[in-house]
Amino acid sequence: MIDEYFSTEDVAVDCREFLELISEAVDDRLRSDLKHQFIHHASICLPCRNEYEVDQITKSVVRTTVRRKEVPSELYYAVLADVKKRQSFRGKWLEVIFGEAFLNPAIALVALVVVAVGGVSLLQRENAVPISADKNIIAQSLNNYSATMAGVLKPTMVSHDPGDVKEYLAKETPFEVDVAALSGCDWCGGVLSSFDGVKLAHVVYKIGGEGLLYVYQVDINEALHGTRISLPENAKASLAKTGWYFEQTHDKCNVVLWRHKNTLCAAVSMIEREKMVALLSEKAPW
Amino acid sequence: MSIHISIMLAFFLAVISSSKGLHKEFEQEAIPHMDILYNYALRMTGNADDARDLLQETFLKAYRFWDKYEKGTNVRAWLFRIMKNTYINLYRKAVKEPDTVDYNDIQNFYNVIRENSTDANDLQEKLFGHLLDDDVTKALESLPEEFRTVVILCDIEGLTYEEIAEFVECPVGTVRSRLHRGRKLLYAKLFEYAKKRGFVGKD
Repeated sequence: MIDEYFSTEDVAVDCREFLELISEAVDDRLRSDLKHQFIHHASICLPCRNEYEVDQITKSVVRTTVRRKEVPSELYYAVLADVKKRQSFRGKWLEVIFGEAFLNPAIALVALVVVAVGGVSLLQRENAVPISADKNIIAQSLNNYSATMAGVLKPTMVSHDPGDVKEYLAKETPFEVDVAALSGCDWCGGVLSSFDGVKLAHVVYKIGGEGLLYVYQVDINEALHGTRISLPENAKASLAKTGWYFEQTHDKCNVVLWRHKNTLCAAVSMIEREKMVALLSEKAPW
Repeated sequence: MSIHISIMLAFFLAVISSSKGLHKEFEQEAIPHMDILYNYALRMTGNADDARDLLQETFLKAYRFWDKYEKGTNVRAWLFRIMKNTYINLYRKAVKEPDTVDYNDIQNFYNVIRENSTDANDLQEKLFGHLLDDDVTKALESLPEEFRTVVILCDIEGLTYEEIAEFVECPVGTVRSRLHRGRKLLYAKLFEYAKKRGFVGKD
């Protein structure tokens, strides 16, 4: 028994070994058999103890003082948009095709024809507006909002007068476009696109001091009963019951859906929920 | 002729779908680590603007080289290495030589003040209780990159030694000794800040 007790002393750590163990001790990952020897050495050797305490204090100061930060939402969306931009404009498929092209003339010919045929059919389907593969209107709206923030989705018409934008969009859309004079709005803009043949209107408002408000607009029948785009059931239920639907994403983006005549509108913004609802309720029928 | 067209279409679709698959994979695997990378970028650059640039540049590079990422390996470590290299490339010129610190001075000083304190916690509160997040950030920023990185990853991000070793591609023993030296250097810096702010007596 006594021998066992003293065996710890036999393999006691010296100053050099102690110094090597300091980090492990500070981070509480010392092996239990070494722990006793470490503590013992600290109790008999003042310089070593102080050396240990300096590290311990430093770690503790860093841990208690430095606050971890969340990625700001607009940066989060900017990164997503960067990546999307890269995918759509310098997509991997282009690199693959042109990479092979120099190696194999036969593939080059095939690729060129395919690109020509594919390009024409793609052009017929969509404008320069980036489209999401997702049919879900809420997902599309969020995607477009991030594209707007990153400058990928740009209005083709901008004015201080919402009436101008409405007139511009109304020429092309089978549904009644909802463009209103929101309070504090510096300017607004509009752009048209289509998704799988469904006409879409996009309206962007710049609200002074608050940021951007994006509104996705589509024919209500397509949204509720169509097969090319879709809405989650809970959103449909809420729209039928109250005339509007509200959702907040994990990164504090607010989504508000409402019905304007024969149009479904989906607004997305980082503006606070209350402010956004106040802005929109000046015009929305709830 | 129709066979040719089908082959073309198949080829086209295969290429498109593989690109979409890669994109989805990137969004699912790489994007969730944005938080830790942002915090590392913040502590490395010391300001939000540079951290922003560094984060965007890192994810663009990661996306470009996504096919080079070995599936099943530590994606966080892979992204981290891209960020570290990007940081070194962008800011190499700006990195200044670390101030020389006399360890003996720190020790001597600590020995003197320690004698008058009942315990180390008490001392920490007395010396550094009033330091702000900004002070610590600046102090960290002044450390040489190799020490700064391990201290950030261990003390702010809470990674294990093994993970840090994988991140910085060095043995665990090196992580251990860099932590010790890094913390000591940082202590000296923190002490300077505390002194400037008048929280520590001059004598």
